[in-house]
Amino acid sequence: MSEIYDIGYRHYDGPRLGRGHTVLALTAHSLRGVFGLGRPARSKIVPFALAGIMLLPAIVTVAMMALIGQRGMEYSGFAVVMQAVVAIFLAAQAPTVVAPDLRHRVLPLYLSRPLTIVEYVGAKVAAMTVAVFALVATPLVVMYLGELVVDMPGPPATGEFLGSLLMALVLAVLLSAFGLALASFTPRRGLGVASVITVYLLSSASVPLLYGMMVNTGNDAIAPWAWVLNPFWLVDSVQSWLFGTPPHSIESAAYPSGAGSTAFLLVLIAVGLGALALRYRKAAAQ
Amino acid sequence: MHILATEGLTKRFPTVTAVDQLTVAVEPGVTGLVGANGAGKSTLIKMLLGLLPPSGGRARVLDLDIVSQGAEIRRFVGYMPEHESLPPDVSATELVVHLARMSGLPRVAARERAADVLRHVGLAEERYRPIGGYSTGMKQRVKLAQALVHDPKLIFLDEPTNGLDPRGRDEMLTLIRRIGTEFGISVLVTSHLLGELERVCDHVIVIDGGRLLRSSAIGEFTQATQTVTVEVDEGLDDLAERLTAGGQTVSPQGRMLVVKVLGPETYDAVRDAAADLGLCLIRLEQNRHRIEDVFREEASTRV
Repeated sequence: MSEIYDIGYRHYDGPRLGRGHTVLALTAHSLRGVFGLGRPARSKIVPFALAGIMLLPAIVTVAMMALIGQRGMEYSGFAVVMQAVVAIFLAAQAPTVVAPDLRHRVLPLYLSRPLTIVEYVGAKVAAMTVAVFALVATPLVVMYLGELVVDMPGPPATGEFLGSLLMALVLAVLLSAFGLALASFTPRRGLGVASVITVYLLSSASVPLLYGMMVNTGNDAIAPWAWVLNPFWLVDSVQSWLFGTPPHSIESAAYPSGAGSTAFLLVLIAVGLGALALRYRKAAAQ
Repeated sequence: MHILATEGLTKRFPTVTAVDQLTVAVEPGVTGLVGANGAGKSTLIKMLLGLLPPSGGRARVLDLDIVSQGAEIRRFVGYMPEHESLPPDVSATELVVHLARMSGLPRVAARERAADVLRHVGLAEERYRPIGGYSTGMKQRVKLAQALVHDPKLIFLDEPTNGLDPRGRDEMLTLIRRIGTEFGISVLVTSHLLGELERVCDHVIVIDGGRLLRSSAIGEFTQATQTVTVEVDEGLDDLAERLTAGGQTVSPQGRMLVVKVLGPETYDAVRDAAADLGLCLIRLEQNRHRIEDVFREEASTRV
């Protein structure tokens, strides 16, 4: 064993990196936190179990293509079909990104450094976005690679695949902004989980009900707008407009005008980010 | 050279003026900032960190303007908040490494500095365990370590001895003194007890209601009204008589005597008097100043 000498206090005269580096480090740190990396094993169970569940349909699809030569799930419909799993992931993991720093008042330790509050929130949103995107995009990539390897008859659905990747990113931004905003208003972790899942359940359960009600009462013109109240169907309607994919709403019901849902999507993202900004302006002043 | 200087610095909140026309300059070394709770100490520190815009006046920290160069100040300043501010589920090492990177240190340097600093504040093997299981004293050390990890030129310590037992308090104060002398980092430390700052500070600033009450070198404080408390088993009156006869200023306070210290000879006088009378001396204690004493003095000189 080597001996330890007390050489007294040493000053640091190495490099002090700029803000880009700091924000990147915070993003990476938060992203690791979402998947429980560098945390005890029990923090990894939920995110990795959910990521595993997301991969199952992709694996089944690849197997179907290989064994019976049939396409299983469409790229464009993947997010909508798997929406419950994505929502649980968001509800379970968004609070781990923002809640501890608020609840245990760690924020002043960040803000007494060159980092600004905008950079802090930006890094958190970026981390959650990357996490949700990875969750949705990984199975898509697995399916696409499977399709290339199996060499199905006809050209591969590259266009649909790339479109679904882009929409996965849009979905990730929307879900992160909203999930983090909700979680930041309820800094107790359990409450954060509950609030995100409640909002999701409301938005998914109410949509078919509203739609059916309006169709039955003869309001056919405004009925399609019910779909935009759920984030997954909202993003799907934008996808349908942008890439001409079939609607993945229940019974393939028609979506409202694409431009309208796109505008609504952008407004929602802005509202989510605005709520976060408001919440953190208050937190920073403390 | 001043490490920080304020000029008419003011912070008004809707219902209260937390800092009121404060003009003060601080030299390198250890400076105490004393005031009762709510005197404006924490507000002042937040303004000096560039986190809270002042309502009026100006201030410079490390010769940087607090309004326009806040980020640059925070690069070279460390801050230990008063309240609990540590996440329970990460280890001290992990937290301090992460916060070092938040100060702009590269990964490897952050690791080295964190290990160094945690050793200096006296956290040994426990630094690998989650902070949730730490004692108050250990948590205070982690908070101090994160303020030092990026080798700042100046650190703000907000009530670092809060919640510590007497021994923890002593160790923390010793550490603060070492930071100011051995580490060569200037310190601005707040407390509501003047007595405990007396031991570690070169200079003390007293504020009340956001106003400057007094700013002077520590010597001037202690010389002004140094007293010593004497407690004997019995024969208190005899002792008082003897000391008064010897020219000392004595005032009885319950079962004890408070003797004004005129110089080293006062201690000799107490010792000799007790010995001559054959009294059993229980206590001979230098009185620690309390912030209230300073307020009382200032009030009486003002009248």
